Amino acid sequence: MGHGMHLLAALDFRTLPEQLVNGIFLGAIYALIALGYTMVYGILRLINFAHGEVYMLGAYVSLFVSRMLGFGAQSDKTSSGVLNLLLMLTASMIVCACIGVIIERFAYRPMRSYSRTASLITAIGVSLFLQYGGALFLPNAPPPSINEKVNPFRESYRLVLVHPPASIQTAVAAALGPYEEVKKTYDAYMSKHPGLGEFDLPPEGATIHQKYMAAKALYADAESKASTAGVSIVIRQGDIVVLCASVVLMSLLTYLVMFTKPGRAMRAVSHDFDSAALMGVNVNRTITFTFVIGSALAGAGAMMQATFKGTPLTTFFGFVPGTKAFVAAVLGGIGNIPGAVLGGILMGMAEDFVIWLGYSDYSDAIAFVILIVVLLFRPGGLLGSSKVEKV
Amino acid sequence: MFWPLRLGSIIAAIAACFLIQAATVHFVDDYGQRLVTLAALYVTLAVSLNLINGITGQFSIGHAAFYMVGAYFTGFLSIKYFEAYSHQVGGPIVWLILMMVAGALGAMLAGFVVGLPSLRLRGDYLAIVTLGFGEILRIIVQNQESLGGAQALANIPRVKALWLVWLLAFICVAVCRNLLKTARGLTFVAVREDEVASAAMGVNVTKVKVTAFMVGAAFAGAAGALLAHYEGYITPQTFAMDVSFIILTMVVLGGTGSITGSIFSAMFLSYLPEYLRSLKAPDGGTLYVSGATILQWLIAIFLAVAITRFISRSAQFPLGKRIAGYVATLLGAFVIGKILGFILNLVHPLAALLVDAGQLRMVIFAVALIAIMLIRPQGVFAHHEFSWGWLRQLFRRKNRPTTAVSS
Repeated sequence: MGHGMHLLAALDFRTLPEQLVNGIFLGAIYALIALGYTMVYGILRLINFAHGEVYMLGAYVSLFVSRMLGFGAQSDKTSSGVLNLLLMLTASMIVCACIGVIIERFAYRPMRSYSRTASLITAIGVSLFLQYGGALFLPNAPPPSINEKVNPFRESYRLVLVHPPASIQTAVAAALGPYEEVKKTYDAYMSKHPGLGEFDLPPEGATIHQKYMAAKALYADAESKASTAGVSIVIRQGDIVVLCASVVLMSLLTYLVMFTKPGRAMRAVSHDFDSAALMGVNVNRTITFTFVIGSALAGAGAMMQATFKGTPLTTFFGFVPGTKAFVAAVLGGIGNIPGAVLGGILMGMAEDFVIWLGYSDYSDAIAFVILIVVLLFRPGGLLGSSKVEKV
Repeated sequence: MFWPLRLGSIIAAIAACFLIQAATVHFVDDYGQRLVTLAALYVTLAVSLNLINGITGQFSIGHAAFYMVGAYFTGFLSIKYFEAYSHQVGGPIVWLILMMVAGALGAMLAGFVVGLPSLRLRGDYLAIVTLGFGEILRIIVQNQESLGGAQALANIPRVKALWLVWLLAFICVAVCRNLLKTARGLTFVAVREDEVASAAMGVNVTKVKVTAFMVGAAFAGAAGALLAHYEGYITPQTFAMDVSFIILTMVVLGGTGSITGSIFSAMFLSYLPEYLRSLKAPDGGTLYVSGATILQWLIAIFLAVAITRFISRSAQFPLGKRIAGYVATLLGAFVIGKILGFILNLVHPLAALLVDAGQLRMVIFAVALIAIMLIRPQGVFAHHEFSWGWLRQLFRRKNRPTTAVSS
């Protein structure tokens, strides 16, 4: 009990809202990947282990496209536009869709007449093949990451939920005045003497620099006190773009599945494979279509993760998000499209919650804990029906 | 006649273990001894996973977790108590045997915990739970400073007993084989074939599944104990997910359900990476393989797999033609691979990309896994076992009437 109390006291509840909001942004990407898992599982009853690797390849495609656009590691370009991002997104989605179709055609389709375990082993094989085979051909040491300059959405907003006490606010205001004044003098001095570094200034310059640094420290101190006293959320523009893009893609998907002919075929096949075939649904084409959609969504997720979060890429980069997204799909009810979105967002929030608790080392383990708990107590998932599987 | 035979085979097994030890120590260097030890450990792991996956029909892909439990548990115990107690119990070898038992018990407990979800889950869900369980355990170990954290748990007293490693492998094989000869063992197979039907026939499905997990885990734990005391240090990476996948590949390649298959493929696949690592360029340096070479063989293998599938699935070919077809396919793939190699080597980036041959091991495992699934999903040995009778039949095949029904 005493230990528990101590633990609670160590928690900083003022950062909780920010962590949870970050969790939603993280969850949006999980949701995009989870949709691929859930659709394939819904139709083939197969855990597409290679889906995480399709996601990984999508990130590499974005990397290559960004380099082609002139944003290499040593690029001196400073500004980018939405067009670049759209190009990367489209390329990543198209290539991922193709890879998904190839995997389905050459690894999963031949296995369809065998047991589900055989397909699952094939899927594991494909996943290992892409991870280790990719490591031979793709750059991964040191892990490259997409140049952040390609991303025009780099600013961040502070959303204040609870204002800090008035005394602290006045302290910030009091520190801001002198800081701005000194900054002006300093900037003016520096622009008069170009070519001088911070540390090789003449004596008069050094005094100005010293004053500037002192005022800056004072202001930063007051600022940080204010930010810890109040409750605020820092949101990066990139995260908002990710969320909006995910919502657009998911709405498109919902439209596609619910209101178009191929979508109806997909639902029919996932409901009953054989009957759908008897009713004249082209099952093979429908499955290919499912892989196209699922893989393209993974490609979109990969592009956004790699561009807006700047994650370093290795060929093993897709495995952990892939498993987490799978857990998200199970959590929401596998085969259920809104469930995958809900599961993805809950998954992201759970992960950031664990980080907030101070157990960031365990943030990868939480997915499996959730998975085991869900499967034991509600195997159908949150939105799925808990139908007992027939033998 | 039963008891003398059984006693004889037990004595023969123990004698064989010492013979292996004597021969290994006499003929090969330290490195070779390590290979022989690892081969026995992998045989134990593969055969014990085969009990869970092949014989009982569950689908566990987290076997390295049990291996890890055994290794870490006994490593920890040995670091603490070896000095004080090893002489009291009768020397390091007796201590090692005790540790084996301790590792087995620890892993058995873990097997019990993992086996429980198997009551409600099947197939792919169970697979991912076992995988997740292994990962959770590894992450927990990685964050325990008392277990060495992400670095190694080092300074485990080293006790070398090659014969004991092989004895464990023999015991594991014997237990699994004899299990299948008993009425109790047949319930395992019954659960694999049809869970509902076997439950209706009075088989306690729960008990069978959990027992399979516990026995399989116990052997993996004992193997872990031996590994810890053989190497003297262990790291969480020693038991990472790819180890689980390697063990799974061994079982699948050999034939799910076939002990013989597991043994052979475990020995073959545990030697393969070492063989790749030992390959040397003509000048004695590390052997590098060019990207073009890798690609050429990948395409050749792909073509060979596709044609083999076609031949094996078309019923009109008689056996002779079929075998001729396979040979022709292999030769054709080889020639095509060579021709492709010539073309691909003209592509500069592919020819210039050089890969250390040792890095290819997981790629080869993955390709083997996919290829075996596409050509022969039941594995090389399928569910067949080696037996003297089978060997005799093999040579007498010609005059046997062809009434055999393929299963």
